[in-house]
Amino acid sequence: MTTDNATVPETSYGPVAHHFNNMGQQHATVRLGMWLFLVTEILFFGAAFVAYTAYRIWYPKDFEAGSAALNAGIASVNTFLLLISSLTVTLAIRCAYVGNRKGLIRNLILTTLLGTVFLGLKAREYQLDYVEGLIPGNVALTKEAAENVLRARADNPNLVVNNFNENLKVVLKHNGFQGVPGKDYDPSRVQLFFMFYYGITGLHVLHMVIGLGLLSWQIVLAMMGFFDFKSRYIYVETLSLYWHFVDMVWMFVLPLLYLCGPHTFGQAVEQFKLAIGLGSGSGH
Amino acid sequence: MTTPTNSSERHADEFLSHTVPPTSTTLTVFAALVGLAMLALLIGFSELGPIKVLASLGCATVQACVLGYFFMELKQADKLTWLVVASGFFFTGIQFVFTLTDYLTRHLGVL
Repeated sequence: MTTDNATVPETSYGPVAHHFNNMGQQHATVRLGMWLFLVTEILFFGAAFVAYTAYRIWYPKDFEAGSAALNAGIASVNTFLLLISSLTVTLAIRCAYVGNRKGLIRNLILTTLLGTVFLGLKAREYQLDYVEGLIPGNVALTKEAAENVLRARADNPNLVVNNFNENLKVVLKHNGFQGVPGKDYDPSRVQLFFMFYYGITGLHVLHMVIGLGLLSWQIVLAMMGFFDFKSRYIYVETLSLYWHFVDMVWMFVLPLLYLCGPHTFGQAVEQFKLAIGLGSGSGH
Repeated sequence: MTTPTNSSERHADEFLSHTVPPTSTTLTVFAALVGLAMLALLIGFSELGPIKVLASLGCATVQACVLGYFFMELKQADKLTWLVVASGFFFTGIQFVFTLTDYLTRHLGVL
């Protein structure tokens, strides 16, 4: 190792850490470190997708029915929110690279806002799932499902029902799903699909929350002038790698969970309008 | 910039060999990703039958490749980074192949 590194170069690039030969090596190492972490994340989500694949191959019709009960409208909007946030975080790297502090802060704030809106819509989606009674297990019957059960019990007083199955039938009927429960799909197996839905999207939400925390931290650092050393753009780039990875996971979550079953564009629009309070439906 | 005098200053310029793409490139890639997302939704909202899942996953894979190659800067990455990424997908492949080989050959005809 040369002793020249003891001298801090008089440039606006910032100091090179003592254990690196030059800034290029330091940057390459920072990038490699984040990629090594992302590989562990690929394996982490990969395990969830492997389990999903096995069950979907076993129970394809039940997974299609489960997917038909999900809110494709919110998912579609969330897709574009994440794509735009990937754009803004990439623009933030450019701003840090050229020393544009205001642009950097603006783009980081935009990315954070878009991620927050994503999480807001996700929370609303989970709330609608709860209201519709789509929680695996013996949750409470919704009003319409309870009426259906009462009617069925009028003919068969000894009828035993599973509340999730009854709630699911109501949701699928409202979503226009053509399958007949018991014949085209098994409502009990749809609970498996919903375990994957809550598990995979829940993990994704957790990663988004962590990403938002890191973005907030970098906004504060940017305001303090940390990125005035242009070579420190690498830390914005490193964060962007994580953020793009979270977006990449969503690219596979969308077709596997949300678009696996039959959906139409009009239905997705109505579902989104319902989610933001403009729809005519009032829950089931 | 003055002529670098010591090896530290000469090497300090090496980080410039990795450049951040201009905004126009970023916007072009973004437009491509939006187009692919719309294609994914089009596939998802259509009734393609058995090939729907393959078409959806194919579209998602292309989206992921575009995102990784341009936005995640794999285009400029060194060979070690490519090796790390490839190893990630290689081990994910092992996850899929070995797990599914086990699970999908159990209870054959008894489900």
